[in-house]
Amino acid sequence: MLVEKKGLINKLIINIRKNIFGLLILTPALLYLLAFLIIILYQIIVLSITYVAPDLSETYPTVKNFLDLANNEEFIGALKRTIVFTLVGTPLELIAGMIAAGLIFREFKGRGIVRSLFTIPVAIPGIVTAIILFILFDFPFGHINDLLLGRHSFFPKIISNPIPWRSTALFSLGVAMFGKIWRDMPISMLIILSGLQSISRDQYEAAETMGAGGLQQFKYITLPLLVPAMSSVLVLRSIEMWKEFIFPYILAGSYPLLGTLIERAYHEWNSATEAATIGLILLFCIIIFTTFLFYSLSWLRKQLVKI
Amino acid sequence: MLKTHKTMKRDPYKWVWLLGMIIMIIIIILPIYMMFKYSISDRSSVVTGGAVIPLWPYHPTIEQFEGLLEETGFINAFFTSLGVAFLTVCISLALGAPAAFSLARYKIPGKAMILILLISIRLFPDVISVIPVVETFIKLKLVNTIIGASLAHTLLSLPYVIYIAMGVFETIPKDLEEQAQILGASKLYAFIKIIVPIALPGLAAAAIYVFLLSWNEFIFSYFLLLFGELTTIPVFLRKILSWTPQHNLLAAISVMLSIPVIIFTFFVQKYMQAGMTAGAVK
Repeated sequence: MLVEKKGLINKLIINIRKNIFGLLILTPALLYLLAFLIIILYQIIVLSITYVAPDLSETYPTVKNFLDLANNEEFIGALKRTIVFTLVGTPLELIAGMIAAGLIFREFKGRGIVRSLFTIPVAIPGIVTAIILFILFDFPFGHINDLLLGRHSFFPKIISNPIPWRSTALFSLGVAMFGKIWRDMPISMLIILSGLQSISRDQYEAAETMGAGGLQQFKYITLPLLVPAMSSVLVLRSIEMWKEFIFPYILAGSYPLLGTLIERAYHEWNSATEAATIGLILLFCIIIFTTFLFYSLSWLRKQLVKI
Repeated sequence: MLKTHKTMKRDPYKWVWLLGMIIMIIIIILPIYMMFKYSISDRSSVVTGGAVIPLWPYHPTIEQFEGLLEETGFINAFFTSLGVAFLTVCISLALGAPAAFSLARYKIPGKAMILILLISIRLFPDVISVIPVVETFIKLKLVNTIIGASLAHTLLSLPYVIYIAMGVFETIPKDLEEQAQILGASKLYAFIKIIVPIALPGLAAAAIYVFLLSWNEFIFSYFLLLFGELTTIPVFLRKILSWTPQHNLLAAISVMLSIPVIIFTFFVQKYMQAGMTAGAVK
């Protein structure tokens, strides 16, 4: 037993000696990231259990921040809006990515150029996209309102009064969601595309010889085999939706999501502790939701394989 | 799958596809077109007093850009952005490239853990990490400094650099450095003089990627630089938004911010894809 242990340690030492150069050059980056990770986790927990009273006296540790937020209507509203934003936005991102990938998957002239074109949105800074939408969806007379009011000869009249795009939760968050989906579509598209490319052509040919039509092929071959890529998109995109900041910040200032509420707590309420508490709650939401999504998707995948 | 011309003609989905393609291209192009249109609009095409906003400006002009180049606020923001981005590139590559080489070549104990750490840092919400980072930077007197912003941006870019550079190093055959070592070169010498020069195109792509990430970054820059003299262009854009400026000015700044990004993106597309989908495909 002892000899075995000694042998193991010796092996480890030899292993380390052999790779000492590798370990040395890895250390700085690793330390950098670990230092930040420790700072972030430590600070966020300390801040969230520190209560700063109006007279600046500090209580520590306490759960008062959490209790306060539970009674804070602004926070509850933001939480509800964030949940809806995520639940509606994530599937839409998947659909947008699938449509784009489906369009580009086909062989055609100029495919490379169109593919490059389709990746432009993710390259444009988020704040720029948000500001363009801010301009286009202006009230009362922006381009979109002009268009919908039928003020251009080429477009039918759809509404009779201009829509106030920034003064209802539905419209402002809808525009923010559109911006988010527009910008992130390329990422979903690329993941779906790599999923599509990994499906072997033989399966389609086999199906074709057996007389399956295009729709049947899509339903029974493409869709099931695309589930892993689709799961990746859903998991990754839902995290992004939870933490979304720039679009609701610029376009829906009066209807904060949890991400934008953190900024408001920090700068307007002037409370780092409450900002950290909201951050911690958001982090918990993300972890729980993502774990749930991940396991239900792998369960679904198993069910599909059984069939 | 190459279809012959004949089967294409009979393909019933062709028209659906074509229609979808046209709609998609319009949706993607339109906001970008609008940004350029507004940036070259004259006053009368923006402030119309209730009349229809023209789809092409009445009198196209570059006066907004000329005005920006004379405005010290914008020039300062431009050079701050540039400085922060360059410093971020330097720190990220100095830390990331060796680490990536190590992960690509050596049997590091706990390598899987390190890769998971990288992905979790990449996925960690920046709106959450910004509060503790800013609070710590206030104590360290790193707020309102270029180095502080760069250090924060490096946190975001380092996982990408390591992922992209790992892919680059894995394509370089191992024999090369082994031969150099047989000839008497040390490991460090072999890395710097032989591996890095070969990996240079890939590393350059990683550098451009980091540059763009820092150039576009808003949240950390905003929290770290809001109350100081220094601003990056995205923060500058946010600051002037609260003065309700004319739309053509906003668009002109947006164009200045986007042009380097759009140009560079075409160069690094291949690598960007690797960075964006890292962790998505197992």
